[in-house]
Amino acid sequence: MESILSFCIAVCIAPFLAAIIQKVKAYFAGKQGPPLFINYYTMIKLFRKGSVYSTSTSFVFKLGPVVAFSTSLMMLLFFPMAGIAPVFSFHGDVIILFYLMGLGRFFTILAALDTASPFEGMGAAREAFFSTLAEATVFGILILFFRLTGSLSFGEFFSGNHAITIMGAHGALLLLVIVALFIVLLTENSRVPVDDPATHLELTMIHEVMILDHSGPDLALIELGSFFKLLFYSAFITRLLYPFQFENVFINALVFYAIVMLVYVVIGVVESITARYKMNMVPKFILTSFALVFFVTILTMEFIQ
Amino acid sequence: MDTLFVSLAVILAGGLSALLLSRQFIIMKLATIATVSVGCFIGLSSAFPRLFDSSSAAEVTWDWLHIFTLSFRVDSISTFFLIPIFIISPIALIYSFHYMENKEKAGRAAVNYFFYAVLVASMALVVASANIVTFALAWELMSLSSYFLVVYDYQIKANRKAGYFYFIFAQGGAMFLFTAFAVIFHHTGSFDFNLISQIPDRVKLLVFILAFIGFGSKAGIFPLHIWLPYAHPAAPSHVSAIMSGVMIKMGIYGIIRIYLLLDAPTPVIGQIVLITGVITGVLGVVYALAKQDIKKLLAYSSVENIGIILIGLGIGMIGVTEKNQAMAFFGFAGAFMHVFNHSIFKSLLFMGAGAVLHKTGTKNINQLGGLMKRMPTTGKTFLAGSVAISGLPPFSGFIGEFLIYYGGFQGIYLHKISFILSILAIISLAVIGGLATATFTKVVGLAFLGEPRTEMAANATEAGISMRLIMVLLAITCLVIGILPEPFVRLAFLGIADIHFLNSYDPASFMVIIRNISMTAVLFLAVFAAISLFRKILYIKKEIGSSPTWGCGFTQGTVRMQYTGTSYAAEMIDFYRPFVPVKSMYSGIHKIFPGTTTYETGVEDVAEKNFQKGLVKPLLLLMAKLRWIQHGNIQLYIAYIILAIVVLLVAL
Repeated sequence: MESILSFCIAVCIAPFLAAIIQKVKAYFAGKQGPPLFINYYTMIKLFRKGSVYSTSTSFVFKLGPVVAFSTSLMMLLFFPMAGIAPVFSFHGDVIILFYLMGLGRFFTILAALDTASPFEGMGAAREAFFSTLAEATVFGILILFFRLTGSLSFGEFFSGNHAITIMGAHGALLLLVIVALFIVLLTENSRVPVDDPATHLELTMIHEVMILDHSGPDLALIELGSFFKLLFYSAFITRLLYPFQFENVFINALVFYAIVMLVYVVIGVVESITARYKMNMVPKFILTSFALVFFVTILTMEFIQ
Repeated sequence: MDTLFVSLAVILAGGLSALLLSRQFIIMKLATIATVSVGCFIGLSSAFPRLFDSSSAAEVTWDWLHIFTLSFRVDSISTFFLIPIFIISPIALIYSFHYMENKEKAGRAAVNYFFYAVLVASMALVVASANIVTFALAWELMSLSSYFLVVYDYQIKANRKAGYFYFIFAQGGAMFLFTAFAVIFHHTGSFDFNLISQIPDRVKLLVFILAFIGFGSKAGIFPLHIWLPYAHPAAPSHVSAIMSGVMIKMGIYGIIRIYLLLDAPTPVIGQIVLITGVITGVLGVVYALAKQDIKKLLAYSSVENIGIILIGLGIGMIGVTEKNQAMAFFGFAGAFMHVFNHSIFKSLLFMGAGAVLHKTGTKNINQLGGLMKRMPTTGKTFLAGSVAISGLPPFSGFIGEFLIYYGGFQGIYLHKISFILSILAIISLAVIGGLATATFTKVVGLAFLGEPRTEMAANATEAGISMRLIMVLLAITCLVIGILPEPFVRLAFLGIADIHFLNSYDPASFMVIIRNISMTAVLFLAVFAAISLFRKILYIKKEIGSSPTWGCGFTQGTVRMQYTGTSYAAEMIDFYRPFVPVKSMYSGIHKIFPGTTTYETGVEDVAEKNFQKGLVKPLLLLMAKLRWIQHGNIQLYIAYIILAIVVLLVAL
């Protein structure tokens, strides 16, 4: 019951959290920025609308948003938000979840290629490329966590005797992991400096250009899915950052979401003070995260015998 | 055991009937397909119960020519490899009913069916052989019959070259294999497989490496994979399906068999297999991404999957030397599972590519597009196969990869080199998975989606009923294995039951995980269905518009503006540049009134290039110097023979 409630809260709060980034960016630009509930308004607006479909597209184009949304929802179903056990959890779930995310990506790419647009093809090619690099980092992190905890499940990473906390014996290692995971977050959620979610046109982008032709409820599903995905990665980082557990569930949840918001603020700050990299720099940026994780994993060879 | 031989006899009879009935095209096709299918069914019904029967393996021996003994033995490993042989062969043959439509080539089709039957029977004999002579005979029969299948369209020069390539690699591989057998015979003095483990330990590594090269050239490990991208596009699609889906797995079978027979204690073998697997897997998929010819791309993707299987085997072998039962168990089980899965989705994809080739006349991605609307069944089944081969849930490819991951993660607790290799295995599996996604989104997205790039693609029509039926069947199988993996995983577990080291391991706890995987797949489908319903509701009474794709203000869009396969892959290929050299040719502009200028770009296979430079050229140079031996004088040739006999008599 508690788990389902926690899942519902996460689903409801995700669009709100995403607005924080916009607010922070507006603050840096000296503007007032949109209201914090902007994303809810946008969702309602989009849900009310109809759609325009390109004559080039087939059923795959309509499948893309649904699959992408479903896979993001699956991530939240399996992730322990705020120290509360997730709705589903089993040994080995991390592998299938990251692969499900790959499935979402597969269909997003196909939907983009279905429009026969050169821009969207370009975005699709970049998305496919950068995610192969980010995947290596993610599995590097899984290897490390398996070595530390002996488990392959989000639920088990953060509970039990070998729970991963920054206050534990391997806290120092986690610092590097957090940085790596943050880089993956920026990549997978198409944030600056990898991608620019604000420029809604032209060739500068990856993810946004792929969804150019989606409209109405389809677009709303894609946007919602990306809010969930962002929340998942931020929550993952938050679980690594925050070592304490309070007796009271509510205080726990409050502190948890406060730190999640902090992560969002950091994303906003990063977006405000850095420019987007040139495309040929992006692979190097992503590989930095892999180098960090690999280094940490090698370090464990001596720590853990 | 007798039933197995009955089934092989029926299959061969089917092949012969094709030759006899070659005048009646339709009847010939029906008769052959029916007979071979019945034979395969008999074979399957004899093989299947054996998996569940844990008593000792069946054995038969015959004397042949009074000198050699032909002996056959079927244990759990052989039985497991018999299953794809007997399932995929009839299926690919049924597919061929509408694929082989040209009546004028009836005679050639009959010959093709005959060699097909021989290939099926010889593959079954390979996995059933229990001594060196039998194995060598069956192996050669397999190589030769498949050679004739490849050169089906022998009038085309490129196909003859492809056949030649295949022949060289098959026989070159066999040479290494026979060398390995010779070394074994030197030490044991017997042809029997069971005595192989008695050869001294220091020789075992040498024997394994020789056999690994021999089997590897059949399986398509890097850099011995060069024949695959030539042979598969040349062969008819049902032949590519069986060769890529089943025949190259005979190489894998050989590697497993020789490994188990040698029973070598050295950890080097596992390390070699794993590292070869990693190289084969990553480079295979990068080359697949770089290719624009669908069948070439699928051939390289077979190389990639052989790499994944070898990674699984490598994990298993390292697990054995490290005495880590769980690691060994899941490594081997994952490799077996992937062998089974790959035989299904790779056949499906080759059949889809064949349907596209049949209906459009081209297999170049840059000339296709928009086929999903014109060939809906082919498109949907190809999509299913693509998701499966990218290893994504809820389709079958994920299950095998999951087992291998699970085995790899067991190795994370080890020390030093085994630990590093386990990391390497897991990371490269992840990278291969990502690149496979890129490769197959490219094929589906550019060949089947978007707008047709040429007239040929625009005028395509749906493939014949027998082809569609088979593709739908295979696509559904991929989904079923992904959703209900338990019985199939059990099948793989039964397959490895005869690996002695794993006898005492009980995978009960893992079955819980497999049930959870299945639960997750169902859960995902449920969420997917719910969201689809939700989306339907949202669209009730909504205005649905239709217009051309948004061109960012540009209104004169043409189909030639679409992203092509080359541009889609360019950035990724560039990243792997030292291993994947891009070669472009530009004719340039000369004179005042320039003629037609041409520009060509493509990726060179680094292995092929180096073979050419390092092996073929020096060899040709040497052979040219020895040409005087071949002078065309019959008397002297006879003298050579006599001399050779005398020398042999004196020397031995």
